[in-house]
Amino acid sequence: MAARSGARTLLLTQHLETIGQMSCNPAIGGIAKGTVVREVDALGGVMGRATDMARIQFRMLNRSKGPAVWSPRAQCDRGLYRRAVRTLLERFPLLQFSQGTAARFLMQGGRVVGVLTTDGRRLESKAVVITAGTFLRGQIHMGLADPIPAGRAGEGPSVEVSQAIADLGVTIERFKTGTPPRIDGRSVDLDGLQRQDGEEVPYWFSFYERAHHPNQLPCYLTHTTERLREIITSHLSESAMYGGAISGRGPRYCPSIEDKIVRFPHALRHQVFLEPEGLDTSEMYVNGLSTSLPPPVQLEYLRSVPGLERVEMTRPGYAIEYDYFPPTQLDHTLRVRHLEGLYFAGQVNGTTGYEEAAGQGAIAGLNAAAAALGRDPVRLGRDEAFIGVLIDDLVTRGVDEPYRLFTSRSEFRLLLRQDNALRRLLPLAVERGLLSDSERMVGEDRLEGEERVMAFSRETSISPVQANPILEEARTSPLSEPVRLSELAKRPGVDLGALLGAVGAPHGGEETAWASVELRYGGYIERDQQLADRLSEMEEFVIPAEMEFRDLVSLSFEAREKLSRHQPSSLGHAGRIPGVSPSDLQNLVMEILKRRRPTPA
Amino acid sequence: MLTDVVAALATPPGRSALAVVRLSGAGAIEIAERILDVGRREEGGGKRGLADVADRVASLMTFVAPDGTPIDQGLVTLFRAPHSYTGDDLVEFSCHGGLLVPGRLLAALHAAGARPAAPGEFTRRAVLNGKLDLLQAEAVGDLIDATAPAQGRAALRQLDGALSRRLLTLREELVELLAVLAYAIDFPEEDDGPVPVERIVGLLDRGADTVARLLATAPTGERPRAGALVVLAGRPNAGKSSLFNALLGADRALVTEIPGTTRDAIEASADIDGWPVRLIDTAGLRESDERIERMGIDMSRRYVGAADLVLLCAEAGRELLADEEALARESPTLVVRTKGDLADADGDDKGVRVSAVTGVGLDRLRRAMAERLFASGSAQDDLEPMLTHERHRVALGRAGDSLAEARPHLGDGGDPVLAAHHLGHAVSALDELIGLVHPDEVLGKVFSSFCVGK
Repeated sequence: MAARSGARTLLLTQHLETIGQMSCNPAIGGIAKGTVVREVDALGGVMGRATDMARIQFRMLNRSKGPAVWSPRAQCDRGLYRRAVRTLLERFPLLQFSQGTAARFLMQGGRVVGVLTTDGRRLESKAVVITAGTFLRGQIHMGLADPIPAGRAGEGPSVEVSQAIADLGVTIERFKTGTPPRIDGRSVDLDGLQRQDGEEVPYWFSFYERAHHPNQLPCYLTHTTERLREIITSHLSESAMYGGAISGRGPRYCPSIEDKIVRFPHALRHQVFLEPEGLDTSEMYVNGLSTSLPPPVQLEYLRSVPGLERVEMTRPGYAIEYDYFPPTQLDHTLRVRHLEGLYFAGQVNGTTGYEEAAGQGAIAGLNAAAAALGRDPVRLGRDEAFIGVLIDDLVTRGVDEPYRLFTSRSEFRLLLRQDNALRRLLPLAVERGLLSDSERMVGEDRLEGEERVMAFSRETSISPVQANPILEEARTSPLSEPVRLSELAKRPGVDLGALLGAVGAPHGGEETAWASVELRYGGYIERDQQLADRLSEMEEFVIPAEMEFRDLVSLSFEAREKLSRHQPSSLGHAGRIPGVSPSDLQNLVMEILKRRRPTPA
Repeated sequence: MLTDVVAALATPPGRSALAVVRLSGAGAIEIAERILDVGRREEGGGKRGLADVADRVASLMTFVAPDGTPIDQGLVTLFRAPHSYTGDDLVEFSCHGGLLVPGRLLAALHAAGARPAAPGEFTRRAVLNGKLDLLQAEAVGDLIDATAPAQGRAALRQLDGALSRRLLTLREELVELLAVLAYAIDFPEEDDGPVPVERIVGLLDRGADTVARLLATAPTGERPRAGALVVLAGRPNAGKSSLFNALLGADRALVTEIPGTTRDAIEASADIDGWPVRLIDTAGLRESDERIERMGIDMSRRYVGAADLVLLCAEAGRELLADEEALARESPTLVVRTKGDLADADGDDKGVRVSAVTGVGLDRLRRAMAERLFASGSAQDDLEPMLTHERHRVALGRAGDSLAEARPHLGDGGDPVLAAHHLGHAVSALDELIGLVHPDEVLGKVFSSFCVGK
């Protein structure tokens, strides 16, 4: 993103071969995450395109629910994804690649101006973005054996830079996450397992390009048994998590199989998804059985799962503990608050997930480039993008477990949709020069197409004769007189494309689908937008930097405590800090206004 | 500086045996120590500063002015944070009443570093420190303003937190429903499978039912605070003004034998068997050509239309006239047979027979009024918390409307996003009512009640 916005950018990595390597499950997208992929794409990032080029199964999750929460997700071929990312990145002329490990920072008057690598190279720059994933002092745990220093299975950790960051006065904490074993697909008995095929619908994550998809593969669904529960229970003390070897906190929504058995003792079975690793290998990823038990126990419990009776394990699962920097130390541009020139993105900020990392990477990269080029920083609002929600949650609330996005994190579910990511972010992408001319034109054309459909639907009425067969199919009441298309499109189940077809207008294509969602939620979107505007007024209400929150006696004790800890920069920011009530905010406004009033001479 | 120290007289100023001065804030105890005569304390059995005084135990001490002259001898009680009304350190001084002593005591406290408290500041601090919620603080005001015992009882119940607890439970249920919807949206392929529609709809209906039941208490609940509107109506010269004066125990309305004496409506507050009532005497109802009297009669009719109870006054011992019967049918009416001293003792009237002259029947009338106006309230008193302010009714009404809007979006083929949207509005209406903030509780609930994680 930095390179796209015009800054000469160097990508420093321990292994050039592992650019775009997926550490965990071979899937991109999902609830809220799919929307982030599209947001990153709208801004000119490569994730959506790489996914389109590598996907071996596609599904739109939540299709039975409202279109606001439809969530695209793709299983990917790990190898294809990695190669696609490298190929796409090499398209950007300002981006250079270098293999190496950062060890220390180059400093100049309190500013970070580059890094020194472990092999002694000085890499000078105007800004540095750290995106080290789980590599910072990473330690892999399997059972109670001594942990293995590693950033990911088979790859060494990054140790020195963590200390260098700590030396700059940044606080470090530890998190843990886990991954399941992988198996040899040839040893799986697929008969009797539930096969899950993807959807054969035209869909591209990318708004700008229609890449060719590889062949599609199915996933398989099986489940745990009583026997597996017995195995886990009897070996629980050997788990790195439960045996006390790991202290870092893990995510609640991505529990290990040990967690599931302990926390939900009455659940009869847990689902297990067998996901293909790629087209050119039979290896499979066992989604649902993440663990930190010793490998022999892993094999034993794997073989208790229907279909896996004779399975061979190719790689054991493991838990990994790593350093992260509590993200309340960052501002909304993802820069370390007290240091010019240093930005963090991804798991080092306490998040999980490829998509969350990509979203932060886009903003950190843009801002590092903006700082280097002397441009204004970029901030995304909570009503503009899930990336905005993500970053705001991180820097205002912090994290107490690895952070993952959900639609429930947003107060504007109806505004932040996968179908309108282009509409939301194209203007920023164009303003910042992140797109090629052809991408910009494709983007603008597509939005105009959507506008045309909406305008036509608002102006055009449909007769009962034309509409009633479609309404009958959607099981909604028939018309007795002509009604505007835009009105009918609000009814659940009524397909705007079919209505357009019935009146002989051009239809089909994603633009029609976009228009239909806009029309369907029209009134709600308008109200949410008004609320969002009110909130953004609060964002614009700046709190003076020298504000002494502890002295504000009209605020509750808790609010004063929290405010002085978080030092919010705006009223909106203050309002999102847990423990600050609306009445505290009101009093805060009064206090600020009181201080603004010029003192009589 | 966390909270500065404020001091104020907590009892009404003026001649009295005792007065209470309150001091609250961080450092209140140190400031209190500055106005205590250490020497005198020593006589009372060894040197002891306030630091050794136990919480909530009254100690006899001598208060001194900055120049060391004694002001008074009185009781000092400590309430250390957070176990005090305000949540901060709080000191109560009981001294002799009157104008001089409390005034000098306050002056000494101000000299020692306290500032005068703004009106309501102690309660405000209690809210800010989380000792009271909004509803309870409101109840403190109601309790202080209460003029009738029933009003006090209602305020006390609200202060005790009965209404807050009920609303918190309701809110909890709605947040749980939001969590169920969040689970349905954010975790579509989990072990537990989709949440059954009946469970979702059941939760919503239960919430809507609670809202409806609470809203139904508003008319009775608001009445003890606002006072019930009782209108005396009837033919001219039916004895309305005499009854009005008798119920008040004071001659407020002019009474003559000339029909049509009362032209304007006269209002007074009365305590009827412990219940607050706004009593209104009106012009007698008859056809009149006189302009002023006609205006008075129109006003009477408007009051009758708005009344919680109409006392229809008609002389004892006669049949009710057709227009009186009609009024009794159209409005909540209690028929009062007036001038009971002039009628046959054994006359069989409809209604309560009273005599404003002898006072016979007035107690019965008061009981009958209280029963008609407040019986349902006193019966419910121990069962249901009641809505006592218009603010409650409006906010809960909004919550109810939002729940009704959410309903059609639940269940199969519905849009859970829109359901959650409306439900969110219902929860914020309750938050506003109680004065709450809520962090990431919806997701917290999801994680604690469902096994998620593919």
